[in-house]
Amino acid sequence: MSAAPVLLEMRSITKTFPGVKALADVNLVVREGEIHAICGENGAGKSTLMKVLSGVYPYGDYSGEIRYRGEEARFGDIRASENSGIVIIHQELALIPGMSITENIFLGNEPRKGVAIDWKTAQRRALELMKLVGLKEDPDTLIKDIGVGKQQLIEIAKAFAKDVKLLILDEPTAALNESDSQQLLDLLREFKTQGITSIIISHKLNEIEAIADSITILRDGKTIETLDVKADGVNEDRIVRGMVGRDMSSRFPDYTPNVGEVFFEVRDWTVRHPIAHDRLVCKQANFSVRRGEVVGFAGLMGAGRTELAMSLFGRSYGTWLSGQVFKDGRQIQLRTVSEAIENGLAYVSEDRKAIGLNLLDDIKTSIVAAKPAKIARHGVIDEVAEHRVAEEYRQELRIKTPSVDEGISKLSGGNQQKVVLAKWMFTDPDLLILDEPTRGIDVGAKFEIYGIIHRLAEQGKGVVVISSELPELIGLCDRIYTVFEGTITGEVARADADPERLMKQMTTTKKMPV
Amino acid sequence: MYKFLTKAVAVGSVAVLALGAAACGNTREGEGTSGDAPKGFAADSLIGVALPSKTSENWVLAGDLFTNGLKEAGFKSDVQYAGASTTVADQQGQISSMVTKGAKVIVIGATDAAQLSTQVKQAKESGAVVIAYDRLITNTGDLDYYIAFDNFKVGQLQGQALLDGMKAKKATGPWTIELFSGSPDDNNSAVFFNGAMDVLKPLIDKGEVVVGSGQKDIKQTAIQGWKAEGAQQRMDSLLTSTYTSNKTLDGVLSPNDTLARAILTSVKGAGKPTPVVTGQDSEVESVKSIMAGQQYSTINKDTRKLVAETITMIKALQTGGTPQVNDTKTYNNGVKVVPSFLLPPVIVTKANAAEAYANDPKLAPLTK
Amino acid sequence: MSGLQDLKKNLFGGTTSVGRQFGMIFTLVAIVLLFQVLTDGLTLTSGNLIAVVSQYSYILILAIGMLMVIVAGHIDLSVGSVAAFTGIVVAKAIQNFDVPWPLGIVLGLVVGALIGAWQGFWVAYIGVPAFIVTLAGMLLFRGGNQFIGNADTVPVPEGFRTIGAGYLPEVGPATGYNNLTLLLGLIGCLAVAWREWQARRTRQEMGAEPAPLWISGVRLAVMVGVIIFATLRFAGGRVGTSLPVSGIILIGLVLIYSFYTRNTVSGRRIYAVGGNARAAELSGVKLQRVNFFVMTNMGILAALAGMIFVARSAASGPQDGLSWELDAIAAVFIGGAAVSGGLGTVSGSIVGGLVMALLNNGLQLMGVGVDLVQMIKGLVLLFAVALDVYNKSQGRFSVIDSITRPFRREGPPAAPVPADVSRPNDKTPAAS
Repeated sequence: MSAAPVLLEMRSITKTFPGVKALADVNLVVREGEIHAICGENGAGKSTLMKVLSGVYPYGDYSGEIRYRGEEARFGDIRASENSGIVIIHQELALIPGMSITENIFLGNEPRKGVAIDWKTAQRRALELMKLVGLKEDPDTLIKDIGVGKQQLIEIAKAFAKDVKLLILDEPTAALNESDSQQLLDLLREFKTQGITSIIISHKLNEIEAIADSITILRDGKTIETLDVKADGVNEDRIVRGMVGRDMSSRFPDYTPNVGEVFFEVRDWTVRHPIAHDRLVCKQANFSVRRGEVVGFAGLMGAGRTELAMSLFGRSYGTWLSGQVFKDGRQIQLRTVSEAIENGLAYVSEDRKAIGLNLLDDIKTSIVAAKPAKIARHGVIDEVAEHRVAEEYRQELRIKTPSVDEGISKLSGGNQQKVVLAKWMFTDPDLLILDEPTRGIDVGAKFEIYGIIHRLAEQGKGVVVISSELPELIGLCDRIYTVFEGTITGEVARADADPERLMKQMTTTKKMPV
Repeated sequence: MYKFLTKAVAVGSVAVLALGAAACGNTREGEGTSGDAPKGFAADSLIGVALPSKTSENWVLAGDLFTNGLKEAGFKSDVQYAGASTTVADQQGQISSMVTKGAKVIVIGATDAAQLSTQVKQAKESGAVVIAYDRLITNTGDLDYYIAFDNFKVGQLQGQALLDGMKAKKATGPWTIELFSGSPDDNNSAVFFNGAMDVLKPLIDKGEVVVGSGQKDIKQTAIQGWKAEGAQQRMDSLLTSTYTSNKTLDGVLSPNDTLARAILTSVKGAGKPTPVVTGQDSEVESVKSIMAGQQYSTINKDTRKLVAETITMIKALQTGGTPQVNDTKTYNNGVKVVPSFLLPPVIVTKANAAEAYANDPKLAPLTK
Repeated sequence: MSGLQDLKKNLFGGTTSVGRQFGMIFTLVAIVLLFQVLTDGLTLTSGNLIAVVSQYSYILILAIGMLMVIVAGHIDLSVGSVAAFTGIVVAKAIQNFDVPWPLGIVLGLVVGALIGAWQGFWVAYIGVPAFIVTLAGMLLFRGGNQFIGNADTVPVPEGFRTIGAGYLPEVGPATGYNNLTLLLGLIGCLAVAWREWQARRTRQEMGAEPAPLWISGVRLAVMVGVIIFATLRFAGGRVGTSLPVSGIILIGLVLIYSFYTRNTVSGRRIYAVGGNARAAELSGVKLQRVNFFVMTNMGILAALAGMIFVARSAASGPQDGLSWELDAIAAVFIGGAAVSGGLGTVSGSIVGGLVMALLNNGLQLMGVGVDLVQMIKGLVLLFAVALDVYNKSQGRFSVIDSITRPFRREGPPAAPVPADVSRPNDKTPAAS
């Protein structure tokens, strides 16, 4: 492998943002025809490095040297790097939903005949390119009408329309399901045989282990090491060690559960879809939570877990049809969000950027946002108390920020999630519903969040965790409910939980004997 | 903390001292000088002229004449127009600025004659003389002079012209007419209307002149903003409501040319015979219309003369004299009777057009 | 930290939008100085300052309400029409029904509140976009003004005129100044000093290190200096004039609304709704109530602005309020509010409004025609917002900010902490 000539070399790349050194002396060597993975926790500088390479940050904006195909490259913009055959496919797809596949593939790069676009050629080439990436679609199909997996392939086809030599994929499988991901990885292997070099950035370490030839690990904007997968006998744990700088003996903190009485109970909870009136998103759901217990909800995407949680939380989703909620043996009403908060419920959303946080806020206002009355007198906010509270949570949850006056948008995903947790811990809840609490968060922060969940349980609170990652649920929860198509299909105690059993219950309509 | 407090107190005391110290040396304008009548001012003083928006050619002409005339007379001038959509507020600001700049005389062609009293007061208190140009400023005791064409006379001439025109077409009555008046926020509208009614009313009472629609009240006849489309709409509805059968319309009292042409357009559109229509302002299109035998009459209010007379007033004020006025009874603005200088208007029909516009470079060729 | 950054950072408070506000204040000072030179010193004369305040106070009052509407993520196009409608209702009520003028003011505020509530109802409870509701309102109340007023100009009595054209009375010994204005200035100086002291105390209570004493000293000196200068100017105008009554109303409103938007729970909610409505809703904020409130509040402030203009003009006319909405909206955006909502401050909007006002006034003093003034104002609005957009795209808030920021701290802010390090502080927050 190492015999192959060097295609790209980035030497002591340093990139500074106001106040932050995003990259410090980073080195990267990519050889021709290999699949090179770049790993690192969120904020380690992976995306920044790729933006430097692709000319998003133009020459002069960083220091260091890029050597590409033996010459020094000074890209002034994306177009310049694309002309040299370097194409980057970003995490957020850059496709226009209302345009056809052909139009998208050739967007900004349209084949012309005189001044007019030569649609005939475009369609013919679109078909060729789609064949290359293994897609069989009508080239006139609108992007919005095909699935995310196929959209990702279209992005790659688009890259090939530009005569790609070096393909960079930023988290290409983040939004894909198992089979689509597999297809994409197979495609990358296929390209490899054709001599195309790829750089892949991914959090999914098992994928990297499976596909990459070599791995460069970044941490805190610095190159930690470059591993040759075959020669060094790299496995997931080895990568994790490089990323976090130590051995992760366990992915979950030590914890001895101390579960008390049932204090929260939901009976016959039935909710209708907000638009499709003939569809029920929750069908007579029954579940209970004990004090000090961590309860998991397992289910596939769209199974109705989030819908159940949000409809409980002040009817924030769908139309409530029937069902009661009991807390400490007494029936409670949860008609509005404020009522839910008053009754000790807290809901940490799965989509913290879209509906969990006001990204314009600073840390301290976000933390008190759900119950400002606690630090206010006669409606006037006590700024000293606000600052004190925020400072306490900053220390308790170890939110990494120079000051609680900083803007939320400057924080990394993990730290934003800690702010959301702090926001809901501040409301003194008895029951916290955490919807995908570790989505998009790196390994280290996940570990910390598990610790927080355990501490909450130790304080006698009930914690409901909704997650798509079965190992996470099994490692974290005392009890797991499975959900399929709006129905709770089963309940598994921690001791009996294994991924196969859960998966089986997550994909069947039959109710398992409890 | 203590150190800080002492500092704060120190700064505070300095502030108080500064206030006190500065207080000693200050004499405010208006102290001791109030009550003295202005006795002339420097020959190169600033004269402010605030005019309405540039929507009519008359105002544009007036502005140019003021700029040149004041310059020739040796004054510094500041001629301002209000904006098209923010008229009143603009004019208020402009007048304030003229006061700040120390204008000795401020000539105002008001956009809304009732909404300038605060600024007129401000001007007066600063020692400036305020002259209302063409439109009488109301609701203020601080206005010094009013200069305009005799608008009551304009109305009378319009009324008379209407009668003359109709008599020329049909020797004996009764004649059927319709009445139009100007914008209700323009103080002059009522003056024109009353002047015309001064002539027409006796005949209406006698039944020799009949208002076909019966709409004789100024409120019913007013056209908001002097807008042509308003007049056309009203005329359209009058024609459909009143003149559908064989009833003929002999004449229309129109307060100005713009409305007159709109009325004629409406009548033509309805296919009715052309009635006698009056006008005012000698607009180019109307002079053409008169020469073509469509509109019957207009009024020649020579802007050149009005501006020239205004500058004569300013010159008199500069030397400390009293400007000539010729009416100290008629023009009551709601607070006081304003000394006025009125210029006589001239009625123009096809018969005397050549003679009336002989000195006007733009209109004279049209009458040949 | 070097003294310069310290000064800049601390001189105008300490939030993220400081850079922008600093820039606007800088622009304002630059405009004042520019016109002070160009007009041979006329700009800062007593007479002119007094005129500017009474001429623009009603626009600035509108800007306060408009800021809250824009922060909540809406827009109000109807303010000019609402102002004109209220003006004519009040003028007619006083003229035709002999309503005493103080009662007339109350009536006007009630009318404004009702109109605001009407618009708020459609925006908040029916969910019609505010752009549409207020576009309808713009037509509705403009027509209403002409319907009620018969397109006439209706005068208002002397007493009523106080709120728009009135001044503080001359009382006390002959100091050569308006004594009440001096008193206000003195109160202002003391208030500023007290606030500075409070701010330092608050920072200490937060456990943060307060700015160096000399910074406080300089800041205080600058603010007190400005207040003294302004006081002497406003107090030293022609006898009978002072800080205008409308200016005092404006200052009062600015203080109240600044406090409300910054320091109260319900004020914060406006920002929460504008920043992320769904997130606010899921935090227990009642969206409808907030939206209803900002629209109603705008109605009341528009009514007040309308009455102040009527008072200043001594009469209510059919042209009142024309294009005011544009001036108010421009002030808010120049003052740093975000078009998408969630960002902006009352003081920023006032500074933005003053930039426009002084620009307008300065050009008028120079004898520049209305046509050119409008063109210049349009360009200023465009460039002010464009500069902001550009700066944001560069990841900084102002040019000055970007020069100084790299020195503020060293190293990346978010160094990952290994999970096995013992927690630095084990105590649970007292609050939870």
